[in-house]
Amino acid sequence: MPVESAVTLLQVAIGGVLLGAVYALLACGLNLIFGVMRVINVAHGELMMLGSYTTFWLFFLLGINPLLSLLFSIPLMFLLGMGIQKFLVSRVVKAPELMSLLVTFGISMFILSLALYFWSADFRSVPYFTGSITLGSFAFSRPRVIAFGIAVVITLAVYIFLKKTKLGKAVRATSQSSEVAAICGVDVERIRLLTFGLGSALAAAAGSLLVVIYAVNPSTGQTFILKAFAIIVLGGMGSFLGAFIGALILGLAEAFTSFFFTAQLSEAVAYLLLILVLLFMPSGLLGERE
Amino acid sequence: MRRVIAALAAILLLLPFFASPYITALLLLIFMYITLAESWNILSGYTGYVSFGHVAFFGIGAYTAALLITQKAFPWILASLLGGIVAVLFAGVIGFICLRLRGPYFAIALLGLNEAIKVIATAWESLTRGGYGISLPPVPDLRSIYYAMLLSATAVVLLTYRLASSKFGLRFLAIREDEIGAEGIGINTTRYKHAAFILSSFFPGVVGGVYAYYLSYIEPESVFSVSITVKMIVMSMFGGAGTVLGPVIGAASLALVSELFWAKFPYLHQVMFGALIVAVVLFIPGGVVALLQERNILPRSRRV
Repeated sequence: MPVESAVTLLQVAIGGVLLGAVYALLACGLNLIFGVMRVINVAHGELMMLGSYTTFWLFFLLGINPLLSLLFSIPLMFLLGMGIQKFLVSRVVKAPELMSLLVTFGISMFILSLALYFWSADFRSVPYFTGSITLGSFAFSRPRVIAFGIAVVITLAVYIFLKKTKLGKAVRATSQSSEVAAICGVDVERIRLLTFGLGSALAAAAGSLLVVIYAVNPSTGQTFILKAFAIIVLGGMGSFLGAFIGALILGLAEAFTSFFFTAQLSEAVAYLLLILVLLFMPSGLLGERE
Repeated sequence: MRRVIAALAAILLLLPFFASPYITALLLLIFMYITLAESWNILSGYTGYVSFGHVAFFGIGAYTAALLITQKAFPWILASLLGGIVAVLFAGVIGFICLRLRGPYFAIALLGLNEAIKVIATAWESLTRGGYGISLPPVPDLRSIYYAMLLSATAVVLLTYRLASSKFGLRFLAIREDEIGAEGIGINTTRYKHAAFILSSFFPGVVGGVYAYYLSYIEPESVFSVSITVKMIVMSMFGGAGTVLGPVIGAASLALVSELFWAKFPYLHQVMFGALIVAVVLFIPGGVVALLQERNILPRSRRV
């Protein structure tokens, strides 16, 4: 293989990994909620989209640095997520899982349509960071590098929170068995509330970072919930680390598809991956086998 | 009861001859939504396998018919029927893959399926003309469309009625209530799920074809729109999923309300539908039919 094309391929791979970290942020949030509640939050993509718009409007109207706006979008979606859990999802947590699926689907449609009504279907982006960083013969897109760095930091922080702190351990305990956790004195209702908030906050962070590297419109959430779902199925439902690896794989797969075929087709990669994994490897890479 | 049905049939059959074109067009849309909601109900209401991508069959029917009409000069009725058949073939293959998945996996896989097909319909420009869409010859006669939609709606309601009152349909319900238990008493659940999936895909394909002909123009975003799936779910759940009459009541009432009040605000009307799904699941999970049954207005029978 000539050196130049090897460089190009590596370049494509780097692009994929950089984007993958943002996917990871989104997918880890979805997976956290699923782990603790056995609820697939179909509205997760819409929460991400709201994160993107928070950052966009703060930048567009007030000129606020998109990284600073993380400080707004994260708490905002944390509260919204807790609200959704407290008033809507908590009522159907114990019902058959299809009920919670329908409720979150309804919420997703509600938010999506409201966003389309107020903000139209126009694509928006925040062209704050531009240009690229060159290292030898490789060029790194600056916005992607920044988004990657922050995404990795946030994901790591949440990972450490889950592993090391008492509260994080309570979250993991509830995820393993809510009954046993309750017996051991964990306030399961409170943990669920917290988890839904935390998951939504991760979605918001993903959204805020995404709008820096990507043009976003209200329907973007729809595409991304599918990606996030494919990622957690690939990595193993409920596995935090699995979601991170799954996200990098999806990022790579998409980058190579749009390089070798068309960018349009790369939108279907998540779906293809989802189906293949469900068929041949239903417990994912790092999931617990049932 | 029979007299009521006969009178209703007579009115609906004669209506296009004295009603205004606006009323005829409104009714044919209501029949289309009855067909769609009832089809979704056959799968999701009876077997409990919630589909978030049922509009895929509608879109496939629409594209099949549009291509046959414009490129092979097929008559529209035949093209629409073939649209239904292609939808069934497609469901046969997809069902083989997706029906192994349970609960939420199935629902999301179908949501993704529709997105993937939309991408393909947009990207495969040599066949579908991509985002430019396909223009069809204008419709000479609204009445024939009206009757086609009426016939589809009647057929799917009768089919559901037959299912609800047969042992075959009872097995669907057994799958919904307890799939492993159903397997335990010797029901071949894979076969019945497949049957439900295929039965629920035919009529959306047919009305998709008729709708394409009626609109004279289709493009991927309109016939694979997730908002159509939302309508199927809302209408079916609001009326009462897992009943024969529920989706009819739901589709007729919500299509009418949305036409009369919300049609001018397309997005807001979607907002209402989203809120309605949540409200129905939280407050009246059995839908209108269950409410009527509780008050003894409707009999408590599987045939309702």
